Amino acid sequence: MSGNSLVLPIVLWGRNAPTHCISSLLVMDDLATIITGCHDGQICIWDMTPELEINPRALLFGHTASVTCLSKASAGSDKQYLVSASESGEMCLWDVNDGRCIEFTKLACAHTGIQFYQFNIGTQREGRLLCHGHYPEILVVDATSLEVLYSLVSKISPDWISSMSIIRSHRTQEDTVVAVSVTGILKVWIITADVSRMQDLDPVFEEESKPIYCQGCQSISFCTFTQLSLLVVCSKYWRVFDAGDFSLLCSVPSENNQSWVGGEFIAADKVIIWTEDGCSYIYKLPASCLPASEHFRSNVGKKTEGSIPPLVYSIADRADKQLLICPPVTRFFFGRREPFHKLLIQGDSAGRLTVWSFPLCPPELQVSVSISLQEAFDKLMPSPAGIIDQLSVLPGSNEPIKVTASVYIPSQGRLVCGREDGSIVLVPATQTAIVQLLQGEHMLRRGWPPHRTLRGHRHKVTCLLYPHQVSPRYDQRSLVSGGVDFSVIIWDIFTGEMKHIFCIHGGEITQLIVPPENCSTRVQHCVCSVASDHSVGLLSLRERKCIMLASRHLFPIQVIKWRPCDDYLVVGCSDGSVYVWQMDTGALDRCVMGITAVEILNACDEVVPAAMDSLNHPAVNLKQAMTRRSLAALKNMAQHKLQTLATNLLAADNADKGNLPKYSHNSLVVQAMKTNVTDPDMHVLFFDVEAVIIQLLTEEAQRPNPTLVSPETLQKAPGGADKGGSFLANKIFKQVKETIKENIKEHLLDEDEDEEEEQRRREEKSKSLSLLEYNLTMDTAKLFMSCLHAWGLNGELDEVCLTRLGMLRPHTPVSFGLISRGGHMSLMLPTFKDSLLRQLAEGCAEGRKLSVSEIVGKGTYGVSRAVTTQHLLSVISLANTLMGMTNATFIGEHMKKAPARKFTNIFMEHDLYLIY
Amino acid sequence: TVMLGAERSNATLSELAKMTAASQAERTVLEEEFNWLLKEEVHAVLKQLQDILKEASRRFSMPSPGLCEGQLKQENFILGSSTMDQVKGVLTLQGEALTQADINIKVAKSSQVMHFAFRDDKQWKLQQIQDARNHVNQALQLLSSRDESYTFKTGAEVNKLMDAVMLQLSRARNRLTTPASMTLPELAASGLVKMFTPPMPGDVMVNFYINLSKLCLTVYQLHVLQPNTTKNFKSAGSSVLHNPGAMFEYNNTKFEVSHVHKVECVVPWLNDTLVFFTISLQLCQQLKDKISVFSSFWNYRPF
Repeated sequence: MSGNSLVLPIVLWGRNAPTHCISSLLVMDDLATIITGCHDGQICIWDMTPELEINPRALLFGHTASVTCLSKASAGSDKQYLVSASESGEMCLWDVNDGRCIEFTKLACAHTGIQFYQFNIGTQREGRLLCHGHYPEILVVDATSLEVLYSLVSKISPDWISSMSIIRSHRTQEDTVVAVSVTGILKVWIITADVSRMQDLDPVFEEESKPIYCQGCQSISFCTFTQLSLLVVCSKYWRVFDAGDFSLLCSVPSENNQSWVGGEFIAADKVIIWTEDGCSYIYKLPASCLPASEHFRSNVGKKTEGSIPPLVYSIADRADKQLLICPPVTRFFFGRREPFHKLLIQGDSAGRLTVWSFPLCPPELQVSVSISLQEAFDKLMPSPAGIIDQLSVLPGSNEPIKVTASVYIPSQGRLVCGREDGSIVLVPATQTAIVQLLQGEHMLRRGWPPHRTLRGHRHKVTCLLYPHQVSPRYDQRSLVSGGVDFSVIIWDIFTGEMKHIFCIHGGEITQLIVPPENCSTRVQHCVCSVASDHSVGLLSLRERKCIMLASRHLFPIQVIKWRPCDDYLVVGCSDGSVYVWQMDTGALDRCVMGITAVEILNACDEVVPAAMDSLNHPAVNLKQAMTRRSLAALKNMAQHKLQTLATNLLAADNADKGNLPKYSHNSLVVQAMKTNVTDPDMHVLFFDVEAVIIQLLTEEAQRPNPTLVSPETLQKAPGGADKGGSFLANKIFKQVKETIKENIKEHLLDEDEDEEEEQRRREEKSKSLSLLEYNLTMDTAKLFMSCLHAWGLNGELDEVCLTRLGMLRPHTPVSFGLISRGGHMSLMLPTFKDSLLRQLAEGCAEGRKLSVSEIVGKGTYGVSRAVTTQHLLSVISLANTLMGMTNATFIGEHMKKAPARKFTNIFMEHDLYLIY
Repeated sequence: TVMLGAERSNATLSELAKMTAASQAERTVLEEEFNWLLKEEVHAVLKQLQDILKEASRRFSMPSPGLCEGQLKQENFILGSSTMDQVKGVLTLQGEALTQADINIKVAKSSQVMHFAFRDDKQWKLQQIQDARNHVNQALQLLSSRDESYTFKTGAEVNKLMDAVMLQLSRARNRLTTPASMTLPELAASGLVKMFTPPMPGDVMVNFYINLSKLCLTVYQLHVLQPNTTKNFKSAGSSVLHNPGAMFEYNNTKFEVSHVHKVECVVPWLNDTLVFFTISLQLCQQLKDKISVFSSFWNYRPF
């Protein structure tokens, strides 16, 4: 489901809802879910009640470019699938329930429209997606595998298809695809069972091709009421055609220089047409367009231009019109079952959905509901938590200072947050997450957890880099930050000292990158900075000077690549041009475009596959970060574990155990994300369950008395059912141990280096920060268990968890996420609990209102089967591990009076009970 | 260090105070300038862009569906190479379609010359040209929706429009500058060889494409690899231009490319469109850069 490892995301959204500039819109058939796609590539799932209350539920991540179209991808109501396509040719199939990505693919060309069609071959039903876009065919794609099966091709003047509709004719018992090309030619393909059976790539040619002189066609739709007419909307006019022979029945020009962008039949004799700026008009069709009328087709062949049919109603302007930065998306949907709503829905650049519900008899039309993502966030009590909100509220202000850049240092378990006021905060990640997510005594302490603030930038910090994390060749004290004030600053994070300020760029710093391993020695001690004035600098941390500044790029820099063996820095710009710079001399070697540019960029990937960094596009960054995160984490973990265990094993003979270097964890990774460059950071905590377990076991093994970790304690399985978990843990432990023994002498711990390292560590410790010593791993496990536990299901158990195990109750239902194939991810919005409340309230027979605290735990269970399975698996394996440990408790030393009890069987049994 | 830090932050604070005072006057001036940018400059740039792109679109001489095809100008191009004379081609381009083609291939071993021409009923559409034309028209449509009567209210709005226009323009340019890379079996299946009379022999393949402003013709001469060949068979990946030695399998037969001939000819109007695209892209970016100067100022919020 989520690759090999079990990684659970928990999101801290902060108060600012992500930018959601809506580019496409869909209402699922049951009218209970609205889907919106945005310009930054995310998809939002909104729940809608029959009373038309709308609440955003989850955000889906995966597309790297603007979402161009959405369509349902399944017919049944048991499982609801959704397909989305993006500007960059990607196509994703999602489960609407839990946001799981089921399948994804990428084509060279972008789709601009997709329609679901179900073939009936005998008793078999096959879902197909008919796609059109920036190519001259209609592609027929399998709705489950997303494979292109065959295409509908034009013999006569083939061109891009601008709009398409599927017509079901009862007369001929044939389904036809009607499409209009960009040059205004109407095409008809017949889809029969024969065609549907075809699996090879033989093209299907059109049955009919007729110029209808509709330039700039925006949409075509079929009248489902009479099944006899077709509405074609072009930017300057709309027309009705006979669906049989495609003769023109009426043509209505637009007024006041407005441009139409879409329309639909709302009754046999009425159409609704909407404009680019979001106004809608309902027209009564003239008699010549009505099959029921005796005047039907009376105008065929005559010039009808100019006669404007009566306007029944117009929805001109919204009262609360905010400043929109691009045209809104308008769609019309009607429900085919109760409560038979007819809905006009509009999504705009402010992430707002506006819904008009059509009464059976117009003209009483008012906005039924209007809600934006930000409004939904604002309504929440308490406000959605941001990762360091408690440290960011200035006296006299209500709003926390926004976090604009962040980097997580796993080796220290610390999160570095750059803020919009120019300050940088270093804070223990687990503890600050506990403050935000869980209730406890920490709520009473001001300024908790202990943190350090670095001040130096004027205004916003735009990027942060901890080079030591990428390569050990850098000093582990160095932190590099870039700001909107054009400067790059080197900090010593242990002393908080500002080491150097580089002022070499003429624009805000947009990215900081570490050069690859095999560069020249001089470059190896540099970081690469990219600025919005389209310049790139190589800043030497050691020499404290800029050794190269490559400017003069005409377009924003999109990608930095390296050819270390040739001493080249390769700069890819947003217009596709590539600049090759000699790093040593700072000379521009070449500037190329076209195939050569592509080849040069590709060649860089071959040489150093890991050294790719894509900038500018936040979504690209995000996806890459996602994929890289897991890789890096894996590599990091392997290396780090070996080292820890090796140290441990070696130290077994060593008397001086007190000075064992304390290795911190990477079972928790904090990833800052933003969907749009203008947004503040939101933070996702990724819990690697396996890593937490390994970490706990390693630490257990590190304890002074090794006899405590006898196989017995580990294998002491309390029940039959949970043997699996403890068995797994055992296996991991054994494996790690064995690997260590094998590798220990060959690979690890050069004695001298280690001593040196330790000495340095000790030194650092002495003047180190005021951060308290605490057990990172146990804290992580505590945070994790507290979030996962199903609070509110069993009062007794909750009590045990709170008092004896030291677990903490969440403030509010935790926003979990689900990682699915290829780094696609679904994150629950903080507002999901409202949908949940409603859902649970419906379940309650007496209809009493549930409180938030009651659903805290129920929140996570019941979202979807996939999520539940993941959570239960995690809870059980983690609980098992904790049970095997000596004196495992989350209760801090200061609170411990009697020897705390271990995790008990009750806990296990309870959770197992949940599964069944 | 604590002392130093404190001093520094004091210094920063006083500087900030001075800056805030100074920027009051500056702000008014900037605001005026920004208004001018939104009201005047943006429209001036949009007008300029429209003029350039209309010119570019005209070059593609979009066929209007009502008129008969004959009204589009036919242009002949003689494709050759200064270094070799094995392949010569005369191609007739009408808009986006190659309507006639005459290709002479001199076979390497014998001095025999093969002659092929398009069948009368066939023509070959250059998808690259059609795509570029459609992208330009989409860019034009985006621009036309925001004429002088429209008032831009925010910089973000202008940026959004520019992004959309630039996406279309860079796609238009990319379609011409980066021809599709194909595998040899894809090329063999493309139906291009079936266009000719006399029919092309099984050991010859041709490909037409646009690279920058040039119309290119590639002729591949193949030889069949015997099933018992000792050579290591490795099928070639996709490429715009395959090299001699590239191998592939098609219809259960293994082939190796023995000779590759590439001839080309500049299409002047394609060159024009490329220049127009580049200028327009730069205009868009410059406008965005101007806006960004202000937006970083507007985002400023004293702390």
